[in-house]
Amino acid sequence: MTATHHPSDELLLAHASGGAGEAVSLIVGTHLALCPECRAKIARMEAMGGAILVDLAPAAISDHALQSVLARLDAATLEPPVPRRDGKSFTAPEPLRSYLSGDLDAVRWRPVGPGISYRSLFRGRDASAKLIRSRPGRGVGTHTHRGEELTLVLTGGFTDATGHYTRGDLQIADGALEHRPLADPGEDCIVLAVCDAPLKFRSAAVGLLGKLFGF
Amino acid sequence: MTQAETPEPARLNALVVAVAQARDRGAFEALFTHFAPRIKAYLLKLGAGAALADDLAQDAMVTLWRKAALFDPSKASAATWIFTIARNLRIDAIRRERRPDFDPDDPAFVPDADPPADARLMREDDEVKLRAALKELSPEQAQVVQMSFFADKPHSQIAEELGLPLGTVKSRLRLAMARIRTTMGGAS
Repeated sequence: MTATHHPSDELLLAHASGGAGEAVSLIVGTHLALCPECRAKIARMEAMGGAILVDLAPAAISDHALQSVLARLDAATLEPPVPRRDGKSFTAPEPLRSYLSGDLDAVRWRPVGPGISYRSLFRGRDASAKLIRSRPGRGVGTHTHRGEELTLVLTGGFTDATGHYTRGDLQIADGALEHRPLADPGEDCIVLAVCDAPLKFRSAAVGLLGKLFGF
Repeated sequence: MTQAETPEPARLNALVVAVAQARDRGAFEALFTHFAPRIKAYLLKLGAGAALADDLAQDAMVTLWRKAALFDPSKASAATWIFTIARNLRIDAIRRERRPDFDPDDPAFVPDADPPADARLMREDDEVKLRAALKELSPEQAQVVQMSFFADKPHSQIAEELGLPLGTVKSRLRLAMARIRTTMGGAS
C-alpha cells in the first residue's frame, strides 16, 4: 500500500534544500519513509542542489585550510555502512520514532475532548509538531487554520470533505479550508500534525480546550 | 566557469570511492581543491560570515572523509552527496536545529518497489544534463529555484519578498520541477 496524498513540490523542495524548519522536515521525512515515489522526487531535488553547488563561483579558501583538514583526518572516526536492521517491527518509522520514547503504543496521551487525545512533541522555530489520536468514528471538531496545517496519517484513516486519508497520506490544509475530519470506524486514527499557527475552532468549547492544551 | 574547468562527475565519484576504499589522501586533496571553495561559496550565499563559512567548509570535508564508505554512486553523484553534507552541517551549526530525515535501514522503512517505479540508477551524464537544464529555466523559474536553495526561508516568505502571490511562486516551482523531471527521464 502506498500513499495517495503527497506533499507539494514546494514542501519537498523545502526539505531537500534545507530551507524547512525542524517540524516540517519531521513530517516530510516521515512521509518519505513510507513513500518511495516522493523519495524519487527528493533525489532529483538533491541532485539540483549538487548541480547548483558545482556551478557556484568558488570562494577563496584560507591558505592553511587544506593542511589543517589533513591534520584532522587521522583522528576522525570513520562511519562504516550500516546493515539494514530487521526484526522488531514498528508502527512509527524514523525519523518520527526518535522523537518518541518507544513506538506509538508507548505514547502517554493527554485527553483533549471526547475520543480525542494528543501528545505535543516539540515547538520548532516556525512550527509545532504533535501527535493526535482519534478513537474510531470520532473527530476533532470543525476548524479552520490561521496558518498551514500538515497532517500525516500513521494508523487508521480519516475522511473530510477533501477526501479519505490512510497511513502515509499527507494532507495540506491552509487558511481557506474549513474541515471536520472524522476517524474511520474500526481502528484508532493516529496522525502527526504540524501547524505554523494555532487552529481556529468553530465551537467555543472546543476552542477553549484547544487553548488550554496548546492545540 | 567553462565545462573544461569542472572535473567530470565520473572522476569526482571515483575520487570519493578511492577515499572510501583506500583512504587515498591524494584523492581527498583533489576533492578538497574542487569542493571546499564551492561549499564555502554555498555557505556565504546563505549568509554565513567568511570565517564561519571557512570553518564549516573544512568540517564538511572532514565529514566526507569520515562518511566516504556510505557514498553510493548509483544513488547520487559526489556533488549531490557533498551538497547534502554541507546542507546538514549548516542546519546543525547555524540554525541549531535538527533536520529529521528517513532512515533506509529502519525496519519500518517502506523500500522501493522492485523494479522501482521511478527512481532509476543515477547515470554519470545526469549531472551534466541537469546543470544544462537549470541554465535553461526561464529567469522567473530560476529565481525561485535559487531562492529555495539560498534564501533559508519558507516559500510563503519568499513570495512576500518577491511581491508575488504564493500561488505564483508555487506554479513557477512546479514548472521548473516538471522541466527537470523531463531532463532526468523520470516519470512525472
